[in-house]
Amino acid sequence: GRMKRTAPRSTLRKIIKKHKPQLRLAANTDLLVHLSFLLFLHRLAEEARTKAFENRSKIIKPEHTIAAAKVIKHL
Amino acid sequence: MLLMSRLLCNDGRYKFGTMCLCDFSLQNISGSGKDKNSGRSTLVKQRPAVFPDLDNDTPRNMLKRIIQTQPQVSPLALRISKHEETEGPVWELPAKRISNMGEMQLPDLVPEDASIATFRMTKKRRKISVSEFERAADERLPQNQARSTLDSSTALARSFSMSLGTVIPPDTVEKRGLLRRPKNRRAIDIEAFEGGVEQNMLKRKAQKYLVDSQTASEIQTTVLTSDVEIMLSNTELFVQPQFDDQSQNKLSVLEPQLLNSKTSAQRSKISDAAQEEARLVGTDTRRTPRNSENLILDHEHAGRMTPLSPGTPANQQEDKHSHSQQSNPMKQLSVSEEVAVGTAEHRANAGYSEDLEKTLREKGESQITAAQDARAEPEEGGIAEGSVEHPGSPKAEHEITRSVGGGSLDRHSHTSSSEKSGMKLLKEAVEQADELEDQAIKIELDGTEEGPTEDEAEDPESEGDSIKTPTFVRAVAYKPLLSTPHPAKPAAPKLSTPRPAKPAAARSPQQPLQANRVPKGSGVSRRKTSEPEIASSLIKKIFSHYVKMPVARDAFKIVQKCSEKYFMQLSNDLEAYIHHAGRKTVEMEDLEVLMRRQGLVTDKMPLHVLIERYFPLEYRKLLIPVAASGNSVIPSK
Repeated sequence: GRMKRTAPRSTLRKIIKKHKPQLRLAANTDLLVHLSFLLFLHRLAEEARTKAFENRSKIIKPEHTIAAAKVIKHL
Repeated sequence: MLLMSRLLCNDGRYKFGTMCLCDFSLQNISGSGKDKNSGRSTLVKQRPAVFPDLDNDTPRNMLKRIIQTQPQVSPLALRISKHEETEGPVWELPAKRISNMGEMQLPDLVPEDASIATFRMTKKRRKISVSEFERAADERLPQNQARSTLDSSTALARSFSMSLGTVIPPDTVEKRGLLRRPKNRRAIDIEAFEGGVEQNMLKRKAQKYLVDSQTASEIQTTVLTSDVEIMLSNTELFVQPQFDDQSQNKLSVLEPQLLNSKTSAQRSKISDAAQEEARLVGTDTRRTPRNSENLILDHEHAGRMTPLSPGTPANQQEDKHSHSQQSNPMKQLSVSEEVAVGTAEHRANAGYSEDLEKTLREKGESQITAAQDARAEPEEGGIAEGSVEHPGSPKAEHEITRSVGGGSLDRHSHTSSSEKSGMKLLKEAVEQADELEDQAIKIELDGTEEGPTEDEAEDPESEGDSIKTPTFVRAVAYKPLLSTPHPAKPAAPKLSTPRPAKPAAARSPQQPLQANRVPKGSGVSRRKTSEPEIASSLIKKIFSHYVKMPVARDAFKIVQKCSEKYFMQLSNDLEAYIHHAGRKTVEMEDLEVLMRRQGLVTDKMPLHVLIERYFPLEYRKLLIPVAASGNSVIPSK
């Protein structure tokens, strides 16, 4: 599995702060943000894999990823 | 006997055998009637040789026989004669005995009427009449009066035993026919009876009032005992203390407030407090009485705040609150709460709000422990918004408690944003240590330097704003304004409720750093500081783990872009939810709503399951409350 299992908590906070400075995060909310991010990546990965299979490709190519992202956006 | 009931239910019609005994008989009677009877009787006649075989015969067979032979017995009294005619006494006896035993053994199952009916059916004994029962009871009562009077409570039990006793021996009664017990009724000694009854009552009263009594007279005199007196005595919840007039007013205001923690009560108290404050403003007499440290502190604060808050009304208010300080911290809270709400009501008075902050500062010093700067931001934001919003007193209190950590400063001390400043002073007041205040003052000085440059931009906006616009909205309004004059500054720390100088200080060195760094960073783009991003290595790891396939390098770039967009969208959504909820801080539930909307959390997939799946143990512990021994929950709420 993944070696790195720690969430980049401070980075997440900085990102959100940069984008929405007036927004404040409660105690462990950044963890849930990380969770949602993981789930997003998971879905993106699944879609990309599906696309790659559809194209009978052994590796993930950018176009697969782009198509996957478009699908995810509509969700 | 359940077995018997089951057997009786072979016809499948009745669930319980309780009525089967009777119903079966009824059925037989209502059925073909005499044919059956004759048939049965023939059967009966054929069997006598077999019957007495009690050893070898199974209960089942015996019961079968009973059922077949028994039906002649009817619950109705008029059938008894027929029954006696058709069946021989030999048969009657065992059948009835067994049936009686059955009835005896089914006391709870057999309903009242059935049991009585069976009694009648078999024994033909006297009917239990109420009058007879009473007479018997009366007979018993004078007999028992010689014994202790407490036994009278068991008279009922005795009467029961009497009735049961008369019930049981069936065969004897039956054989002898109607036997009447010799009625040896003697004339009831009325005087003795009444005396006994009185004694009974007296005894009971004695038990009740914990007084021993021998005679009625004693009881009558001692009825009103201490207990009753205690019960009837003063039931005030609290005794009003006797202070001097001024504190009495305050305490009378405060104590009820303490005890009635309802907002309506508080509101009424607020009006009282307002009146009181109005009185205080007028008079100048209350300054002298209490020369405590608080007063000294007050003057110190007054000295410090002189650039900001002029005048005597401040001191007077200060005194009032110093008085309050002598009472409970709770009272202080309530006072400040009052005052906070009062402030909300008297917004125009700038000095008022400043006094507020002074008092709260005093309060903070007296009770609250060290606050961190990190907490300043969230609480200040909360305070500003909350105070500006509708002045619900609980909310004010909430804000005050939240501002405990607020290392607030007053930068915008100009009167146009008096309200804002008032709230900031509030936060400042709650600040605990002198160090923080020193810091605040220093920063204040810095702020005032920086202030004028920004205030110019802000003034028109702030003056134009009505008092009630939340700072949040104001911040949003400020943002485009500030973005033009200060493009270098990524955020607008000035607008958002007063942050400590640290971010400002951090940002000011940042600007020169950025200027220096631009020529530096050519190859490796260090974009973390100015534009924080998720580590690409992390994204690569996570993505490739999920996709389980080799990924092209360019594909990773796309994934990274998608992640950035995702976070933008996420923060937008969170902001929308927060604004909808009227809050300023993102809570767990907001994120759950977000995930729900994304379709990640469903009714079938709860949040905790996701947490368990995707997070290591340490995070799970943080997010999912677990009950531990000793009635503790980890993490504690």
